Amino acid sequence: MRMGMAGLLLLSLGSVAAAQDVALKGGTVLTITRGIVDNGIVLIQKGKITAVGKDVVIPAGIPVIDVTGRFIMPGLIDSHTHIAMDMSDINEATDPVTPQIWMKDIVVSDHDTIRTTLAGGVTTVKTMHGSANVIGGVNVVLKLKYGRLPEELIVSDGRPQLKMALGENPKRLHGDKGRSPSTRGGTAWVARKAFSEAREYKAKWDEYEKARAGGKKEVKPPARDLRWETLKQVLEKKMTIDCHIYRADEIEWFLAFCREFDIVPMQISHCVDGYKVADLLARSGVTFGGWSDWWGFKEEAYDGNPFGFSILDEAGVNIVINSDSADEGRYLFLNAAKVQKYNDLSDDALLRMITINPAKSLELDQRIGSLEVGKDGDVAVFDRHPLDSTCKCIMTIIEGEVFFDLAREGLSAQVQGGKQ
Amino acid sequence: MKTTLAILLVLSAVPVFTQEAILIRNGTIVPVVGAPIPGGDLLIEKGKISAIGTGLAAPAGAMVLDASGQYVYPGMVAPLTALGLINPPGSDSDINEKGLSVPQIDPYDALNPEDDSIEVARIDGVTTALTAAGTGSLINGKAVVIHLDGNLAAEMILKRNVLLVFNTTARQANSYPSTLPGVLQFLREKLSKAREYGAKREGGKNHERDAEMEALQPVLNREKPVLFQCGDEVSIRLALTLINEFSVRGIIATASADVVKFAALLAQKGIPLIWSGTTAIPRRWEAVDLNYHVAAVLAEKGVRFCFNESRGQGSRGVRRLPVPAAISVAYGLGEEEALRALTIRPAEILGIDHLVGSLEKGKIADVVVCSKPLLQLSAKIRAVIIRGRLIPLSSIQTRLRDKYQAIVRERLRRGESQGLDNRP
Repeated sequence: MRMGMAGLLLLSLGSVAAAQDVALKGGTVLTITRGIVDNGIVLIQKGKITAVGKDVVIPAGIPVIDVTGRFIMPGLIDSHTHIAMDMSDINEATDPVTPQIWMKDIVVSDHDTIRTTLAGGVTTVKTMHGSANVIGGVNVVLKLKYGRLPEELIVSDGRPQLKMALGENPKRLHGDKGRSPSTRGGTAWVARKAFSEAREYKAKWDEYEKARAGGKKEVKPPARDLRWETLKQVLEKKMTIDCHIYRADEIEWFLAFCREFDIVPMQISHCVDGYKVADLLARSGVTFGGWSDWWGFKEEAYDGNPFGFSILDEAGVNIVINSDSADEGRYLFLNAAKVQKYNDLSDDALLRMITINPAKSLELDQRIGSLEVGKDGDVAVFDRHPLDSTCKCIMTIIEGEVFFDLAREGLSAQVQGGKQ
Repeated sequence: MKTTLAILLVLSAVPVFTQEAILIRNGTIVPVVGAPIPGGDLLIEKGKISAIGTGLAAPAGAMVLDASGQYVYPGMVAPLTALGLINPPGSDSDINEKGLSVPQIDPYDALNPEDDSIEVARIDGVTTALTAAGTGSLINGKAVVIHLDGNLAAEMILKRNVLLVFNTTARQANSYPSTLPGVLQFLREKLSKAREYGAKREGGKNHERDAEMEALQPVLNREKPVLFQCGDEVSIRLALTLINEFSVRGIIATASADVVKFAALLAQKGIPLIWSGTTAIPRRWEAVDLNYHVAAVLAEKGVRFCFNESRGQGSRGVRRLPVPAAISVAYGLGEEEALRALTIRPAEILGIDHLVGSLEKGKIADVVVCSKPLLQLSAKIRAVIIRGRLIPLSSIQTRLRDKYQAIVRERLRRGESQGLDNRP
């Protein structure tokens, strides 16, 4: 191991320190939103960042991690993944409309995918329903507090996002079973029918609540329907949508659909054709979620294009690099670096795609995504600059607590401990 | 950016045929078989590397590429692909012919120079590839080594009948062989039968020609190696058993870190390895960085290995080859060995190292010029030369970018981007 463990000694463990107090001292701090601080200090108290800078006084008793020569950045954020749950629970594929499904109900907080993803510096993810259904389930945002109770992982301060999916997957999965949708037209109809019914459902409930508020105690409530309850929240803009779309024509359709029902598109995932309609994405304020260089693994992915990022950037789109997998979530920083191979974009623009931009897409940018006072103490430490492809993540901290430490969990530690 | 401009300007004036001479001037030349030469020059004449050094003079009429501040490498060699067989999604496949044993199938018969994956891979620095007929059967078809350039199949070929691919994990879903012992028996019986067939043919009596049995002869008489596509420990052991029993020349291909258990044996017997598991997700009981370390361990134990892209044969992601190399360097593999495992090592394993895989005088001029060290995934590819021809840095993807960049800009200019801000 080129990287010794000596650099990460806990220098003092005072008795007054809470578990969520820690100071990182001596590294290059990539704040993302406030520039770079060389040889800086990041102070975290009670899980929140209380100071970032050069001349920070570390209160007595706060444990100090010496990160001299290392790089500190905000914990990485992946706004489209399927980790932390059993893969067989991702798709309720028995019906093309299943908004009654909530992914927060099936979080497995010691799932091994959390352990492996943490090791790539990721602290927050949006774990999603699959793409089998036109209207899938409600996604869940998680802090990767491996092994804690599921409730401790779930982040509920941004609006929840409902998964929708267009294109080949719902067509194939339902069409092959002899039901709609079996065409893209069928998909549009299924979506429109569901939201129309939900709109009627909402009208009935609005009417009922108005009558109750007006003192009419005798009116009976309409029957509850948990599917339309969810869509009612979407119609009330208490919930937004992350839609799985590949093709440009369907992106155009979906944005028009959202205007038609006055609902909020927050992210388009698998947005491989996004560059063709970058101006539409920018105008509607929807986030582009995609991969750096996947293409051609299916028909609708054929125009996937790593050269498209500069078009998206020029149009002003909020660009996010996602993993959509337990694999690439472990090295989002490499995927960010790859974007620079194909596009003249700055280091800053690339690092934003895996930090503050996904935070915006989760409506959590006031809380995570950059190293600023008042934000959560979520930090990833790298041995080299995170866009240097020969770097590695050596520590991941969530709200001031170390959840991954390569020196303790890496292979060399296990070899020394006699496990191998 | 002066150098970039210089190269771009030159590119716009490139004819499609091979240049008589190209001089790459003043770059960091990384031959991979010797020390890098800073401020070095590389001269290409008639498709071959004719000189490497400093202060080389440009022959009359030579194209000069100013590589100041740039890095010059041999083209990457992809060791197990289906480039040239990958049809657009939705159309019928020409990979993996049906049947448990189809060694008579030759990918040359379906090689398509128009496969879009070829351009995409080569403008990222992959200049040579092994294209196999498939990996899905127990005994698969033949393989060819192609240059990623040419308008006819014959023009692309560097070498035919390179090897056969056996897959020791190809358990069948509902028929024999459905288990690994069954797979071993199946392969053993086929090879035994082929050996008897060969002996009979030698004898010349009552000989009836059989295409399948004929196709197995070159591996039994060690003319061609067998590439064993393996998975975890048991299937690797199974391949080693067959290598031993039939004295075939074996190459192991796997994505399983279990291969480390066999590292000493592979090194001792000189069995090479095609390693695609750097980015494999570790199993629950394994360290998070176990697979990242494997290449470094293999190098330390003296295994002759090369990198392969992780998504398997048929993937359009051949350009991702440097990803496992970069990660492996982060976890202890030397940079020089990592570069060799993308270039000269795969060339050695495929038996083409006398032709390609390094920058040496007399070798075919497959050269890549990039803005940063090749192991930096952000390195921009500035020039690709295959057999002395400067390749246009164009693919389906650059063409789509050019088309839609203009369209989006025009819509923005006219204010015609339909859409309302739906955010409350």
